[in-house]
Amino acid sequence: MADLLLEVGVAVAGVAAAGALASRVGLSVIPAYILVGVLLGPNAPTSILGVPVTLVSDSEVIAVLAELGVVFLLFFLGLEFSVEQLLRDRRSITSVGLLDFALNFGVGLAIGFAFGWTLVETLFLAGIVYISSSAVVTKSLIETGWIANDESSPILGTLVFEDILIAVYLALLAAVTSGGGLRDAAVSVGVAFLFLGALAAAAWYGSAWFERLFRTGSDESFVLRVVGLTTLVAGAALALGVSEAVAAFFLGTGLSQTTHVERIEHIVSPARDLFAAVFFFAIGLSTDVTLLANVAGLLAVAVVATTASKLVSGTLSGRLYGLDARRSARVGLGLVPRGEFSLVLVALAADVGTGRLGSVLPAFAVGYVLVMSVVGSLLVQRADALTDAVLSLTNHADAR
Amino acid sequence: MTVYETDVPGVGKKFEVELGGGERLVIVLHHDGKREVFHKDDPDADADRLFSLSGQRAREIGAILQGAYFQPVDMDSVDVPLGDAIIEWIDVADGSPLAGQTLADAKIRQRTGASVIAIQRDSETLPNPSPEDTIAAGDILVTLGTRDEQVAVEELVADDDG
Repeated sequence: MADLLLEVGVAVAGVAAAGALASRVGLSVIPAYILVGVLLGPNAPTSILGVPVTLVSDSEVIAVLAELGVVFLLFFLGLEFSVEQLLRDRRSITSVGLLDFALNFGVGLAIGFAFGWTLVETLFLAGIVYISSSAVVTKSLIETGWIANDESSPILGTLVFEDILIAVYLALLAAVTSGGGLRDAAVSVGVAFLFLGALAAAAWYGSAWFERLFRTGSDESFVLRVVGLTTLVAGAALALGVSEAVAAFFLGTGLSQTTHVERIEHIVSPARDLFAAVFFFAIGLSTDVTLLANVAGLLAVAVVATTASKLVSGTLSGRLYGLDARRSARVGLGLVPRGEFSLVLVALAADVGTGRLGSVLPAFAVGYVLVMSVVGSLLVQRADALTDAVLSLTNHADAR
Repeated sequence: MTVYETDVPGVGKKFEVELGGGERLVIVLHHDGKREVFHKDDPDADADRLFSLSGQRAREIGAILQGAYFQPVDMDSVDVPLGDAIIEWIDVADGSPLAGQTLADAKIRQRTGASVIAIQRDSETLPNPSPEDTIAAGDILVTLGTRDEQVAVEELVADDDG
């Protein structure tokens, strides 16, 4: 017990220190949390200047907290999901969303097949490189003040589309990888969608019931009810072989129609932040950075190709929204960071653990998210200089 | 005036307010209560961040903008609260029965209960007038009394049969 408690203490304190350092430097906290996990975990590096730094083992406790991190990330995604906005802007959101999916997911598929990966491995890889990081992207929108500009509409629209897609995609992958043969897979896909369909229906029609369930004057009782129900639903889903993250997403959408949204934001967000930080830490913990050497080529190709594909899809999305060249370019730059959802996918892959899913893919994904979240942040910070340079080039070309 | 409202997932809500002339104010409400206010010169301009406020501050400043903190004075109907009593400024019109009478003759206090505490004539104010002072047409009587008493004074000043 003492060991476990001490390890959790070291983990959370390490994450806190890394987060403070990242904020000081002005970078996203997610890569910092992962790195501190790599550092303190059982894999290399095991010592710094002869001082052993393997302080935290990959224990059950950390694993459960990290699991809660995934559940609450997706729960909040559902909670903040604006059905009204989706319906109101459905045409523009669908068009930029499909464009974003076709280009980036397509590039992911191409990379996977080019490197000779199997179909399932490639599907994971394509998902990882497709989805932008809502957390990092919205944070940089606020920091740059772009949130008040027109370029925020296509960026947020794309994120909304990606959020639905990732929920469906997670459900699909969880089902496909759960069984052995094609028939088992088909059955588990069926079970998954039945369960999720029931949950979605409950979410849609159960608003009044949720409304009553969470009506309480006491914050203590409120947080217990929300965390209790969410964890219970996620656990039940996992027991049935359905993605717990997707179940949490649907539960969140059910609550998004109630009056409790604001209160959940206020009271339950800290729990989400704590669990999510441990999740990023745990991803780092289980990462074997020595494997990165084997995937260096793949990583380089993926970073270059998927940065380019996001820039292109984002710029075209901006054009679809009728923005000028500079703002369209900002849409592309803004959507480059990848983060938490790529890692949620890789956590699922690691659970499956067959072939490359348990070895190469996690190492690749961690390296990829580290590079992309940092590159993405830098691109946004330098956006004006970059767009000026590109625009002057194109103007020169036009002049000739 | 058009207000555009947008949900910003994970952040809160965004409001865009048209100020006329193409200017826009953009207000971002964060879930933690923080408000950020941006200004745009025209719809194509980049937004400038003007300031950000905590929820508490925002409510105080909002109250000032609403006029709840400080009511701009409408000089025609100033009320100064003095317990039940209020001060009123009552115009003496040309045909007023009190014009030409001294305060002693007018017996305003006996008849209404309100006291004349000053007489304003043109740009001069005669404070604390004595019973011998004469009321002239065009004067403004500054009277102190309850609302009912003030109504009685107004009737007395306006009453042509008095």
